This record gives sequence, structure tokens and C-alpha cells, in this order.
Amino acid sequence: MKSKKIISLLLASLMLLSVIITGCGNGGGESAESKSGTETTGTSGGSGKTSVTFWTLSTRQEALDEIAESFNAANDDVEVTISYYDTDGIKDACKVAASSGTLPNMWFNWGGSLGRFYVDNGATYDLTAYAKENGWSDIFTSGSLSLCTFDDQLAGYPTSYSVLNVYYRKDIFEQYGLEVPTTFEEFEEICATLKENGVTPISTAGLNGWHVMRFVELLVEYYAGEETHDALSTFDESWDNEYVIKALTKYKEFCEKGYFPDGFVTANPDDTRLAMMTGECAMDIQGQWYDGQILSDGGDLSLFGTFALPTSGTSRVSAFAEMTQFNANNSAEELEACMRFMDYYYNDENVEQYADFYNLPLPKIGSEAPEKYINIPTIMETAETNGTFTITDQAFPSEVADGLFNVQDAVANGEMTPEEGAAAIQAAVEAYQSK
Amino acid sequence: MQGKQKKIFNKTALYVILALLALVWIVPVFTLVVTALKSKQDFYSGIGLFQLPENIAWGNFINAFTKGRLFTYMKNDLIVSGFKVPLGILVEALAAYALTRLNIKHKTGIFIFFLIGMMLPMQAALVPINIIYSKLNLLNTYFGLFYVYIGFGISFGILILRGFMKGIPKDIDEAAYLDGCNKWQMFLHVILPIVKPAIATLFITDFLSTWNEYLLASVIINDNAMKTVPVGLMTFVGEHGTDYGYLCAGVLIAIIPVMIVYLFFQRYFVEGMAGAVKS
Amino acid sequence: MKKRVKTNIGSYIFLMPALIIYLSVIVFPVFYSLYISLFKWNGIGDMEFVGLNNYINLFVSDPIFITALKNNIIWIVLTLVVTMTIALALAVMLNKQFKGRTFFRGFFYFPCVIAPIAVSIIWRWIYNPSVGFINEFASLLGLDFSQSWLSDPKVSIYAVFVAALWQAVGQPMILFLAGLQGVSTEVLEAAVIDGANGRKKFFKITIPLMKETFVIVIATLIVAAMKVFDVVQGLTGGGPNNATQMLSTYMYSQTFTYNNVGIGTAISCIMVIIMMLVIVPYVSFTAKDD
Repeated sequence: MKSKKIISLLLASLMLLSVIITGCGNGGGESAESKSGTETTGTSGGSGKTSVTFWTLSTRQEALDEIAESFNAANDDVEVTISYYDTDGIKDACKVAASSGTLPNMWFNWGGSLGRFYVDNGATYDLTAYAKENGWSDIFTSGSLSLCTFDDQLAGYPTSYSVLNVYYRKDIFEQYGLEVPTTFEEFEEICATLKENGVTPISTAGLNGWHVMRFVELLVEYYAGEETHDALSTFDESWDNEYVIKALTKYKEFCEKGYFPDGFVTANPDDTRLAMMTGECAMDIQGQWYDGQILSDGGDLSLFGTFALPTSGTSRVSAFAEMTQFNANNSAEELEACMRFMDYYYNDENVEQYADFYNLPLPKIGSEAPEKYINIPTIMETAETNGTFTITDQAFPSEVADGLFNVQDAVANGEMTPEEGAAAIQAAVEAYQSK
Repeated sequence: MQGKQKKIFNKTALYVILALLALVWIVPVFTLVVTALKSKQDFYSGIGLFQLPENIAWGNFINAFTKGRLFTYMKNDLIVSGFKVPLGILVEALAAYALTRLNIKHKTGIFIFFLIGMMLPMQAALVPINIIYSKLNLLNTYFGLFYVYIGFGISFGILILRGFMKGIPKDIDEAAYLDGCNKWQMFLHVILPIVKPAIATLFITDFLSTWNEYLLASVIINDNAMKTVPVGLMTFVGEHGTDYGYLCAGVLIAIIPVMIVYLFFQRYFVEGMAGAVKS
Repeated sequence: MKKRVKTNIGSYIFLMPALIIYLSVIVFPVFYSLYISLFKWNGIGDMEFVGLNNYINLFVSDPIFITALKNNIIWIVLTLVVTMTIALALAVMLNKQFKGRTFFRGFFYFPCVIAPIAVSIIWRWIYNPSVGFINEFASLLGLDFSQSWLSDPKVSIYAVFVAALWQAVGQPMILFLAGLQGVSTEVLEAAVIDGANGRKKFFKITIPLMKETFVIVIATLIVAAMKVFDVVQGLTGGGPNNATQMLSTYMYSQTFTYNNVGIGTAISCIMVIIMMLVIVPYVSFTAKDD
């Protein structure tokens, strides 16, 4: 008899307790909801304030919470609410929101095929006119603006411009008498020497394919040359050709010679830095943010240097951009409010104060990175002098990119020959085109 | 005596097998704990995966609460789970009772109908739910979250409760009716107490799946102050790399409430039908 | 004696709350998905009606889909054979009276409680070819083991399965434990008096008496095996080269990464249909004999 009473009492009190607590939770929920619920129409009427919502990565939260607070305090007529997501979560959240018409006023996005999806489907605000009126071509670098332009429509506020280089351990190179390569053959010799001495030459990881792709695309650049590479990226040239086969053959050779870590095919790319810090590997293809990361990990930045991998022609490097996109349904006031916040977010004081939370240097003309990031000037210079090409996984639609990644895995595992691999990539291209 | 020897042998064998299994089981857990104690510097010094660091990085745990706002997320998750689980179980028990003991047409058919919910992948529900909720202004509310969670929990709850309720002999019903019980009283005072092990099990599994649910929570709740634990834990993951010590510390802390619920409810596994039949 | 329960509205009231919530949260999305699966749609733009083409193309011209389907079937078989057996064995052992029983129960259940993201991280380290636990341990024993567990397409699915097994076995275990409680000791004692020994007792009496529990466990295990997502996505992302691609990870890619929403929802409808084809007959069969 006792037990039934206890159970009913337990259930009842739990429910009562939850209702009481939920009363507070729901109250909070509703007030938060009124801020971010009906974003696209905004709430500029009642309180005279324009409320706008911003979705971005949670890695910026520490800085952004404070920045948003000071912005809101300083501006009576605008209120910004920020929601944070992780790198995979934000892609999903934006997709779901786009499908149900609940996108926020502005959101973080990458360039290339990721950002293009929203533009192609009319979800973004066309900034071409706004940019002209506000002289963006004098504010932002041409490289970043072109990466934010899709079919003549400028669709994003450039927030980051990244360039990839080969980071290397200077001390390990010195130890084995190695110097920065000036030709691809020299690069191969370096790998051979490192391997002989028990150092894995290249730190890479194949989970989700994009890190390995950073190397493979350089091989394609080397064997196909600049023009053909560009044609390949726009599908104007078939991937089933001798250059791609040569690139894949060389990639296979590197796998067999053990130039990559064991089991790299499913390793997590977030961990490549670990091998560099411990000296297990000597080279890693990364962007200029690596400097900041090494420092925040407590590493000694003087041990790291960079070079552009010698390929063909001017040895171009891979580049990509990040941006903030704006909701196509924004009213003029909302857009204005968003822009004011963006300009504030990226103004000089905030960038200086919260330097670690920005990808420096900013894609603004004349913008520089703090001196402590010793490699950044060199990297940005290679973008200028060598020229750039759009990174492959942003140049490609995701389906085709996945096709490429599968080929990378298969060639590494010996499941496909380079010839079959090249054909498979082209098959993925054609499947996409016939969609 | 042979009987006694056999008993001792059996018991020892039992202990040995369990100990071996436990050893195998504990390796991943050990990794988790050891990692939580390491700082970033420890990782880069090339420390072995299973070695303890020299200085325990208590900072990881402290950061989880301050920088990571873990306390807020845990509080939120407790609100959501604490409300959803009892309410959900009640809804499911009512339905299971109806399906096993009340005179309703097509009982088995309705039961199978409820079962389909278990098979629906959550990703398929994301967009339709988001559309409805945005129209009803339920986005970013806990009520919206409860509603969806209860919906997804119904299938499993009814499956379990119905199964256990079916196992109760109908004699008990007869006796209760003879005593003058109506349907409600029978439900509350007779059937529910008997299926205690089922309810306890359900409480544990439901609490756990609600606590660890990521997908729907990440889509329905945008406001950071309202995030639940799994969504919050993802903020511990970096953009170009993760501080694993920090993440593992967060994971360990997040486990505690669930283990408390488990420990509290698992004692109900001990009581069984035998007592009920006798009374 | 006939039941003296009248059919009246009162009975249906018991069903109402569950029915209402269920219809809105589950049934509506199911119909929505069925509807969308007949179109070609990228989520935002125009929808183009294609009838059953999505389904046909999946089966006829999509080798990745077939691989994913095959992998899920392998997974289901492994789950029923390995996971269920271990869960049952553990439950039986932990049902006996001995000191520390509660501790061991909590211990084997513990992995269920850990957030999926942590499970992926931990097991990736365990499987790491150079510094992971397995290979290090093997080298301690003098074996030269540089097998790369997750990267090797022949082994990866089994490696991921072991990680999933470790995490998931606690759940069916406590279900079995609860079910074992329902086997009244009186019946067992009567059987012993009748001369049944340990093994006979178990197979001929205990298991049949746990029929309902088995229905629950088998149904939930099959469903979980069809829907498995987190641990695969975290450990291998479906790779290498689709060796561990599952229907749920493929559905996710199609819907969210490639923006082929019609195809993605078609995959989830196929998943539901397959589960129904297996589970519905099984459950109705066992539900009928009362």
C-alpha cells in the first residue's frame, strides 16, 4: 500500500515542482521569443526600436556577448540578439530555417557553394546597390569582395579572407639540413629525408575529406597548370584526364610511402595541429589563423614558418572567404540596423580588443594583423604575388566534393586506381549536372 | 557437500567474468576521465593517452562552469527533463492502460499505430515541426520542446508500459472491481504501483534520452540562455580544433544528474510481481 | 466471467492525450515527408513533382544507397546477435544475489549516459593506429599490430559497431532486468521442485515468461539499428569511401549537405517502411496470443 502512495506522491510533486520552475522558464522563454520570433518582419513599431537577430559561430561568443552589449547600450534605436551554433550546427540550423522561412536578419556563412545556395534561391539580400552607395570597393579588398559575389550579385559582408600555405617546423628542417623547397622535386626530397629520419612529413586527416583535399588540389594545380585547373573547377574541362590521373597517382605514391600519418583517412582534421606541436609531423597545410592557434595553445611560434608549395606557374595558393549574409526580407530599417552592428563589430577598437576572436587580417584594405602573428604577413603576401584560386570544396557543389573525398579515400586504401578515381570524379560531376 | 561447492564455484565464476568485463568496459571511461584532467599544454607535450598528467588541470572543470555556462545549460535541461518525463509517462500510462484493460475497439491496431512513431528518424520531423512552430509562435519556447519530446517518447513508453500491463493477471482487475473500484481508481491505485519496475525503467531511459537530446533542441531553441546540455556542450568544440580536456570535463559534469536519477530509480528493479500477486 | 467494463467515452479519454500529441508531432511529419518525397526540391526554391522517381533512382542507380542499406542490415544482424545476447547475459548475471550487484549494474549502464560526442572522441583515440589503446596494448603483449581500425574499409564497420555496442548495451540490459523481475519466484520454485535444472529452467521457463520483454527489446533494437547515426557520423562520417555509410547518415547528407530534400525524405520513408515491414508483423503476432 505504501509504495503506490509514494509513487503517486512522487509523480505529483515532481509535476508540481516542474510547473513552478517552468513558470519561470516559460516566462523567460516567451520574452526571449518576442525578440527573435518574428525576425523577418522585425519589431520596429512598438518601442521605437528595431530588433534584429544574428546567428553566428559559438567560438566567437566570448567577444560577441560583450560587443553586442556595448552596442545595444550605445544605440537606443537598435537591439541586436545573437544566437550561437557550432560549425555543423549552424549549417543545419540555417538550412532548416531557410526551408521554413525562419531565417534571422543576418547570419554567418562561408563562401563558395555553401553561401551560394542561399543566394541562388533568393534568400539573401542583394547588396550590390548598397555596396556601391557606401563605397565598399574602397573599404574591402577586391579579393574578398569577389569571393562574396555570385553571378554579379554581391551577397555578403566580407568578414574573413583566408589563405592557405604550408606550415612547417623550422627546427626540424634545420635538424636535417632541409631548406624551403623551390621546386616540387625538392619538396619530394624533403619528404623522403623526413621519412627516413622517422618524422612523418605531412600532417593531414581525412574525416570529411577537406583537409586531404588541400593537398590533392595542389597536386592538380601542379600537374594541370593554372588554366586547366580553373577550367576543371568550373567543370569546363573533364576530370577524367591525364593530369588528374597523374595527381592521383602522386597522391597514391605519398600514401604508400607513408608520408601521411597512419590511419589518416578517418582521423579528425582538428587534430592535425597536435602532431605538429609534438614534432611527430613537420608540415601542415593551414590558413593564417594557425598562428593565433599555436599561440593560444601555448606553443612557440618561432618554431613555425610557412611557404607556398611550389607547383606550376606562379605557385598559386588556395583562398576562401567568410561573410555575413542578410535576409532578403529585411526592411530598409532592419538592413540599416544590421549594417550598423556589422560595422561596429568589425571596427578598429573591437578588433584590437578582441583580436583572438577575429580571423586577421580583416578583408579590409589596409588592415593588418598584430605583430605577434609573425607568419601572417608572409602568407598574405603569397596571395598577392602568387595569386589565388578558390578552394575546391567551396568551388564544388557539396555532392561533387563528396565524390572527390570518396575518391581520395578509395585511392588511399587501394580500392580504386588513379584512373578509376579520375573517372569517378567526372561521374560525380556529370551526375550533378544532369540533376 | 557437492551442492555447496557448486554454489561457491558458481559465485566465483560470476565475479571473475564480471570483473573481466568491467575491465574491458572501463577503458573508455578511464580515457574520458584522464583526458578531463589534462590541460592543452599536456596534450602538446606528447603525453600518452592513458597517462595521468603531472598537474591536474582543475581549470577545465572551472572553465566548464564559467566560460562554458554549464550550470545554466544543466538547469535548463533539468527543467525540460523534469517536466517532460513525469508528464510523458503519465500520458503513456493512460494510453497503455486503455489499450490493455479497457474496452476499446481495434486495440492492437491502435497499438501498432502508436509504434510507428518509434521508427521515424528525427531529421525527417525537423522541417515540418519548424514550420508549424514558427506559425504558432512556439519556436524558442520550452512548451514547444516538451510537446515534441512527449510526442517522440510516446511510442516507446506505450510499448513498455503496455507490455508490462499485459503481464498483470486479470484476476487482480476482478478483485478490484468487486471492491467497488472504478476505472480511474484502478489505474491509479492498483495498476500503476504494480508496474513500478516498468515506470522506473522508463523514468531512467526517458530522462536520459531527453537529457542527451541534441537535434530537436538545437533547432527549436535559439536563445542561448535557454539551451540544454548537449547543445551547450557543442559550444565547447572549437572552430579549428578542440580543447579536449575542457570538453571532457564538461561531459563528465553533465553526466552527474543522469547518474543520480539512475541510482535513485534502479532500486525499483528489485520489487516484482511476486509481492503483488500475493496481496 | 465477462469483464464488467463498459465501452463508453470514459475509456477513450484515457487515450486522448497521447493521441492528440502523437498526431501532431509524429503523424503530420510522416505525411509531410511522404508528400515531399514525391518532389524534387532543394528546400527553398520551387518544388518539381517527380512521382516515384526518387525511390526508383535510389534503388536502381544509386550505389551508395545500396551500400548504406546493406550496412544497416549488417548492423541489425550484429545488434540482434551480439548486443542482445550480451545484454541478456549481463542482466541474468546481475539479477543474482551478490554483493556489489548495484555497483556493477550502474557500471555497465554508465556508458549509455555519456554524450554521443564524447563517445566518438574517446573511441577514436582508442582506435588510433599509433597511440591508441588497442594497438599500444597489443604491442605490450609483443604483438606487432599497426592495424588501422577505422580507416580500413574491411574492418571499419565492425570497429564502429564495437563502440556503439559499448555505449548501447546498458539500455536493453536494464529492460531485461526489469523483465526478469516479472518472472515470479513462485513459478521458478515450482519448476525446481519438478526437477528442472539451471539451463532447462532458463530456456524453458524464464525466457517464455519474458516474452513481452523480448518483444520490447527486439523492437527497440531493430529500430535503433536502422536509425543509428551519432556514433557513425562522429567516428567515420560514413567513410572511408562509404564503408560505414548508413541510411541515416546518407539521408542527412542528401537533405542537409546536398540539398536534395526530396531524395533525403524518400530515404527516411524507405527506412520507416522497412522497419514497419519487419516490426509490425512481429509485434502483432506476439500481441495476438493473449
